[in-house]
Amino acid sequence: MTDAPSLGPEQQFFADPALDRMMGVVMAMAQELYVTRDRLRGLETLLAEKGVVSTAALDRAPTEAEARARQDDLKEFVGALLTPLLAQKTSHG
Amino acid sequence: MDERAFSAGQAFLLSAKLFWTHKLFGAVKDEVRTASPQPKTLADVAKVLSPSTTYAYFEWFERHLQKMKYSGRYGLVPHADGLRRDLLARLDVNSPLVQVDPALPMPDYYTSVDVHQHPGGVWSDELAGFVYEEGARSTTPAMGVKHADLHQRFTDLIVSEGKPKRILDMGCGFGKSTRPFYRDLPEAEVTAVDLAAPCLNVAGVQASQDQARNVRFLQKNAYETGLPAGSFDLVTSTMLLHEMPPEKIEATMAEAARVLAPGGRMVHLDFHMLPDAFARFIHYGHAVRNNEVYMEPWAEMDIAALLRKQGFTDVTIAPFAEADNVPPDAWRFPWTVISATKAA
Ligand SMILES: C[S@@+](CC[C@H](N)C(=O)[O-])C[C@H]1O[C@@H](n2cnc3c(N)ncnc32)[C@H](O)[C@@H]1O
Repeated sequence: MTDAPSLGPEQQFFADPALDRMMGVVMAMAQELYVTRDRLRGLETLLAEKGVVSTAALDRAPTEAEARARQDDLKEFVGALLTPLLAQKTSHG
Repeated sequence: MDERAFSAGQAFLLSAKLFWTHKLFGAVKDEVRTASPQPKTLADVAKVLSPSTTYAYFEWFERHLQKMKYSGRYGLVPHADGLRRDLLARLDVNSPLVQVDPALPMPDYYTSVDVHQHPGGVWSDELAGFVYEEGARSTTPAMGVKHADLHQRFTDLIVSEGKPKRILDMGCGFGKSTRPFYRDLPEAEVTAVDLAAPCLNVAGVQASQDQARNVRFLQKNAYETGLPAGSFDLVTSTMLLHEMPPEKIEATMAEAARVLAPGGRMVHLDFHMLPDAFARFIHYGHAVRNNEVYMEPWAEMDIAALLRKQGFTDVTIAPFAEADNVPPDAWRFPWTVISATKAA
């Protein structure tokens, strides 16, 4: 997007305008996530058509080893996602 | 912007809009339904909903889903902009069906607000007709992809009462409201006017594809068409009136009376009848959130009295079902048909 000239402030619906703005960030992120999911699906379909992967193999439940490996990844993912809720400083000052 | 990402990004918004239409709206309606005492006036409803968090989300989504639809990263405007050359090549600026008038003045009420949150409105950018056409596919999400049905149903209603020969469609946009008339009534001559040249050009492309011979699209102001007096059997409009300030609506009705032949019929489809205070509150809120400045004054107008004063007879104002199965608890526009006859 190019920088458009300002047309003035957006309407406000929540008591705290921070929530109005944050909702915008959340929805933009959710949209990006959906666009990525859609692309991944497209990629998988193409790969399956070319015989590189099978959709059935992709969709099956993870093996135990895979599930274990995923645990660490998930712990890090969730930690990074939710730590801001604790509202703790990470530096002195 | 790649087409797949654009399509997925817009599909996401439409899906969120459906959630809004059914679930969020349903939750808001429930809060009002279960309020005690029952709200009776606009102010009562406001008292229930102003402190409601559900309603704040309802409002936020109404405004911002529409904003993202047009302006976000996967918005209609940047998407069309990326395809500018291809889209312009699709327009036939020499179409015999379209007459634009670059000297036509654009009224202030029209240029001062971007209705529907469409940046630049439907008139200022050459591509605006394409953007509007694409955007119109999801304006009434309760009906999904069957939006075309609305215009067809309206035409069917009119034709069921007789087949007009000379038809004027005021504020035709990209021709969606005009199309069922020129297709279903090949014997009729259809004239369609709008202020927006970019929309008329898109209408022309569609009409050529339809191989229509009985329609012309003219860039003209609905309340000063300059068309000959007494030259139409039917004057119609769809979603035009709510975009105008009351004095222009009055002028538009007077212009319709002028161009109609004696005994001619005038039928407008718009948002007007609001059954209760809740519907009114939601509609006026929608107007603010969607940059529809004149929606409220139009809904407040005593249009029947005005038409009688202007000498029309058989004035009727009736609700209109936009689809076969309108879900009772989903958000919807207050569709209304306003019709009247010019005295013979
Ligand atoms: C919501 S659109 C409806 C278009 C079309 N009738 C349809 O149903 O798809 C309203 C249209 O009214 C046009 N309009 C607004 N004021 C007008 C005026 N004074 N004269 C002619 N057209 C006008 C706008 O340019 C826009 O295309």
